Amino acid sequence: MERIDGTGARSVQKTPEEEATALESIQFTDEIHRLISAPSDNASSFTALLEMPPTQAVELLHSPESANLISNDTFKPPHMEDFKGRLHFPTNIALVERAARFSVFAGEGSNNTNIEKNSVETALNDSSANLKKAVKSEPAETESSQPLVSDPTVETKSAKRKEREKKAKGSAKKSKTAANESSDDAEKLPYVHVRARRGQATDSHSLAERARREKINARMKLLQELVPGCSKISGTALVLDEIINHVQSLQRQVEFLSMRLAAVNPRIDFSFDSILTAEGASLMDSNFPSIVTPLMWPEAQVSGNRQPYQQQWHFDTLQQQVWGREEVCHNYITPENSLLSYDSSANSATLHPNQLKMEL
Amino acid sequence: MKNPSSSSVKSRFTRRFLRALIKINRQKPSSSSSREIFLRYRRIRIAADKAMACVIGSRRAWSRAVLRRIKNQKRKRLADSLRRSNGIHGMKKMVAKEEDEISYEQENELRKLVPGVGAMDLCSMLDETAHYVMCLATQVQVMRKIVDFYST
Repeated sequence: MERIDGTGARSVQKTPEEEATALESIQFTDEIHRLISAPSDNASSFTALLEMPPTQAVELLHSPESANLISNDTFKPPHMEDFKGRLHFPTNIALVERAARFSVFAGEGSNNTNIEKNSVETALNDSSANLKKAVKSEPAETESSQPLVSDPTVETKSAKRKEREKKAKGSAKKSKTAANESSDDAEKLPYVHVRARRGQATDSHSLAERARREKINARMKLLQELVPGCSKISGTALVLDEIINHVQSLQRQVEFLSMRLAAVNPRIDFSFDSILTAEGASLMDSNFPSIVTPLMWPEAQVSGNRQPYQQQWHFDTLQQQVWGREEVCHNYITPENSLLSYDSSANSATLHPNQLKMEL
Repeated sequence: MKNPSSSSVKSRFTRRFLRALIKINRQKPSSSSSREIFLRYRRIRIAADKAMACVIGSRRAWSRAVLRRIKNQKRKRLADSLRRSNGIHGMKKMVAKEEDEISYEQENELRKLVPGVGAMDLCSMLDETAHYVMCLATQVQVMRKIVDFYST
């Protein structure tokens, strides 16, 4: 509504500037008032139409005895006379546009009018451009003898215009009903901006393809950041290899750690609850400053502790037999190395089982 | 993708996982026969997966897939747990030639590794993969910490 006020203010400003047409401008304002008053009920009927389901409304719009005809009749003649009388056209167009805006807005709420305004404006621009052409094509000396000559043209033009306006309104309504549903989505979806460089194809398919590829590249970059030691590698294939390795190694580490937990469990029932509190708190600190703490199998450990681990390594082989899917590369990560080099666990995936044997 | 709630994911995962560990320990009285340890290992691994997937919830395709898989495993317990198949096979999308660098084999391998991305397009699959990698890293961190704590 502020915008309308603004345009109104501008029109007020504009009209005094053109001193030659001051009188006419007064006439214009009168006409505007007429237009505002006349189509206002039309506008309300238009809004009433808008309340209907779209099919019905379109039918109504296309039926000859609808309210649009009346509106068009009240709409056209004034400014037809105007441009017949004097070929002072641009202000006329602007005023018509403004008047149309007013008339559209008169009966409506303020929230739903954006799209409609646009379409109506474009329609009016079209029609006014057409009118301008027509006026230009008309000979200049027919000014006095206008009525006889121009009546049929005006008739046909107005008919055309009616059609156009019907279309515009129909489309406006459709777009409005569609827009009410999809406006939220449209706001949420970011606009993917793709530019075609020189020599690139610009049809929609290749544009979409390019957008997709850019998205994929962004994802790859993100993954590259996530996977340690991967940011230096260039080339999508290598990066993807590294990612695959990383995922595999992480999954193996989970397997391995749960194996260790399973083996370790018997020993540690006693302090579980205290662990849950203490460890949970320390884990929430989350930074894991030094995982370098030399852990378990130090030589001081008792043989009773060692036994489950051996069994566990036995499991490794057992499990590989049983689970056929581990066929890839049986590099179970040795505890020391994996723990020390967790942060660059890309290379931890390259350890070999014989290292493990050396361990034991 | 630096998840602001990743530390809370971590702590929640820790709590869940420890609770599951306690439960496992209570149910299976400690024994050092290899069979027992193997069974316990399997349960712990499933518990770890489940805890992570539960923490993530149904927001992500991979966590949904993990939960579904665990549920199905529970339902028909027999030989499935032996071959804990990663991801959904089949339904392989034909990859267009022009995404030149990501080869078909690589993509398929990744599809097999990350659960629940069988029928996704490449873009969302990579998204899933990123999230999955992050969660796995958290899981590994937490589990390693727990192991450290218990074994020292």
